[in-house]
Amino acid sequence: MTITRKALHRRSFLRGMGAVVGLPFLEAMVPAMAIGQARAARAPLRMAFAYVPNGIIMNQWNPECEGKLGELPRILKAMEPHRDDILMLGNLTHNTGRALLDGAGDHGRCSGSYLTGIQVKKTTVDIKAGVSCDQIVAKHLADKTRFPSLEVGLEDARQAGDCDSGYSCAYTNNLAWKSETEPLPPILDPRALFERLFGNGVILSPETRARQADYRRSILDFVSEDTRKLEATLGPTDRRKLDEYLSSIREVEGQIERAEKTNAQIDPHMEKPYGVPADFAEHFKLMTDMITIAFQADLTRVVTFMMTREGTSRPYREIGISDGHHPCTHHQGKPELIEKVTQINTYHATQMAGWVEKLKSVREGDRRLLDNMMLVYGAGLSDGNMHLHEDLPTLMIGNAGGAIKTGRRVVYRKETPMCNLHLAMMERMGVHMEHFGDSTGQLSFADLT
Amino acid sequence: MQFPGQGKPSVGIVFDSDLGNGVDAALALALLYGLEGKGEARLVSNSTTISNLKSAAFADVLARFYAGPPPAAGAFGGFQRPLPPIGMAGNGNLSGDTAVLKAVLDKTTADGMPAYSHGINRLNDTADPVPLIRNAMTAQYDENCMVVLAGPATNLVKVMDLPGGLELIGRKVKLLALAAGSYPDGRADPRVKADVAAAKRLLAEWPTPIVAVGTEVGDGLPFPGSSIEKDFAWAPAHPIVDAYRAFQSMPYDAPAPAMAAVLYAVRPDGYFKLSAPGIIGVLEDGRTRFTPAADGPHRYLVIDAAQKERVIQTYAELASAKPVPRQNPRFRNNQKKNAAPAPPEPVK
Repeated sequence: MTITRKALHRRSFLRGMGAVVGLPFLEAMVPAMAIGQARAARAPLRMAFAYVPNGIIMNQWNPECEGKLGELPRILKAMEPHRDDILMLGNLTHNTGRALLDGAGDHGRCSGSYLTGIQVKKTTVDIKAGVSCDQIVAKHLADKTRFPSLEVGLEDARQAGDCDSGYSCAYTNNLAWKSETEPLPPILDPRALFERLFGNGVILSPETRARQADYRRSILDFVSEDTRKLEATLGPTDRRKLDEYLSSIREVEGQIERAEKTNAQIDPHMEKPYGVPADFAEHFKLMTDMITIAFQADLTRVVTFMMTREGTSRPYREIGISDGHHPCTHHQGKPELIEKVTQINTYHATQMAGWVEKLKSVREGDRRLLDNMMLVYGAGLSDGNMHLHEDLPTLMIGNAGGAIKTGRRVVYRKETPMCNLHLAMMERMGVHMEHFGDSTGQLSFADLT
Repeated sequence: MQFPGQGKPSVGIVFDSDLGNGVDAALALALLYGLEGKGEARLVSNSTTISNLKSAAFADVLARFYAGPPPAAGAFGGFQRPLPPIGMAGNGNLSGDTAVLKAVLDKTTADGMPAYSHGINRLNDTADPVPLIRNAMTAQYDENCMVVLAGPATNLVKVMDLPGGLELIGRKVKLLALAAGSYPDGRADPRVKADVAAAKRLLAEWPTPIVAVGTEVGDGLPFPGSSIEKDFAWAPAHPIVDAYRAFQSMPYDAPAPAMAAVLYAVRPDGYFKLSAPGIIGVLEDGRTRFTPAADGPHRYLVIDAAQKERVIQTYAELASAKPVPRQNPRFRNNQKKNAAPAPPEPVK
């Protein structure tokens, strides 16, 4: 690390053999700048999408109220502590997810169109969607961060084959599309994500990792010299912040190692990547902890997070549900199946609440990390039983640096395009477009009167 | 919604009207629901050009009335799709309530409950008509969509202005049936006067043929008031009857240009004559002028004296038809497969 001025550069790194560790936002990054620039030195705005599949039991998601948020419904109960940081958006529609003239395959369409706003081509071979809004922003910010974007997931990332009535798995398993024919598969393996964030670009095979597991040193060991040098230049507040940050990296590293060891003992033939924890919540926490660190260190400002792939039939034995998620959603009005889907929806939202708590706990100057975010939590279907593409469940979490008034529920007019939200978010990320997908204009986050 | 393998569906109708200003648009909707019940048409988008929740509520009343009772709870209850949303112009100029709207929406039963149910109480219970109309068009086979406009052109011009709007309309829409104006010339129509600029743009830029239905056709082929008294008697309460009675003192025959537009859009042959092609222009005061031109994209409807009685009879029969419960096309096969067994033959 080279410190040539009194102020640290925002994109300073701790470097060591094979390791590159970004730094969180520190006070030391501000003082040497001119006063007029101090404001600009504030932490940057980030955009993230967290996606859940198969729709939501909407009457357990939508509160009765509009305007100021009151008590949240059952599915979102875990979000209660974060109520003031949430903007619930209602009546957003993805028309391009509908059948139009392409017949069955709502799952393939809804995820394929979710961030692209495009009616994807029904095919298992020559896939075609469109550039997703996250990738438009990623391209715009490409020179600002180490990674233009991160794509993260917790389940299947197959890219070929038929995943829904003639729709390629590329549609159901990806959110981010770099071009109309190039999806960006999510990283599922915690070790792979860790190495991407902190390594020198070489991703080891699971077997190699396993061989190294017994003698692996922490990545922080490799950057210890840089760390010591940096600490010597920091004030007590920054030292504490740096210590907390490095501890969070170490914690993640430890979790990954434990998962790898556990998996090796439990089931060496398991289909999941070597280091993927068997427990969904543990996997979720591990991946979102790393996303948090990536944001904290300004390694990227754009993330898509596919909790599980669209149309998944994953069972949730963690909460006593051995039936597949997707079959349960076609409940045909049967209360016992509706209850199971509600529990799955609630389980997902509970994990999200934990992540939001983490994002709130990280300080960035006079704000919390979450305050500098637009984190959209939502799905490409509302009613999974009927495969409805209107009134999509959508939470905006974080206030975009104070630009969005949260703690409210805004219900738009019916058929308001979801792409209007994308357009508004891109604008706040510095990308101005006249239209995107089937947008009819930028979404206003003001209350509808 | 259309699915391959089920054959090309009946024509999809985008209906945009000043519902509640008079009774013409309501009668046209009743006619359209009657045609839908016979499987000849599908109402794929229904919007009002009036910025008044009661106009949208009236449209919802009709949609619910003609949808018939919801399926009984049980096997198919979970498959009941919500009724299509009602679009409503949101131009900020709130229109006043009319006698027609009040008559339908304020009517109560003997125990004080609203006589007709609807689900529109707030602005966000309605749809933005622009994406509503656009989205409906995207779901139609090419040239299997007809647009019926019985109101100012405000909404349709906004659809034209969407990115790709003109291309979409040109591809999906076979014809615009415009129930506004007088032809070849005549008095100014309030539907044109309400937004002269939009009417001018519509007639100048709309990318498909236009057949206009003027006030002269509406006046010459009125809906018979006698039908209201007898053909609708099957329903103890009927929103069309209440609207009709509220519009003017009975008995009267209501001018019905929008009915003619709907009938022509769905059944183009055998009821009307057409003018030679030409171009319709709009004057600043809202009057319309038709100028013959061999390659003009516009025509106007002409009454066929020989078919007059038949047209009026068709109006009455279709508009007063009982609701036919509509099936969800997505699950039509499931319903057939799982339908209750036929009742046993009566014992002889």
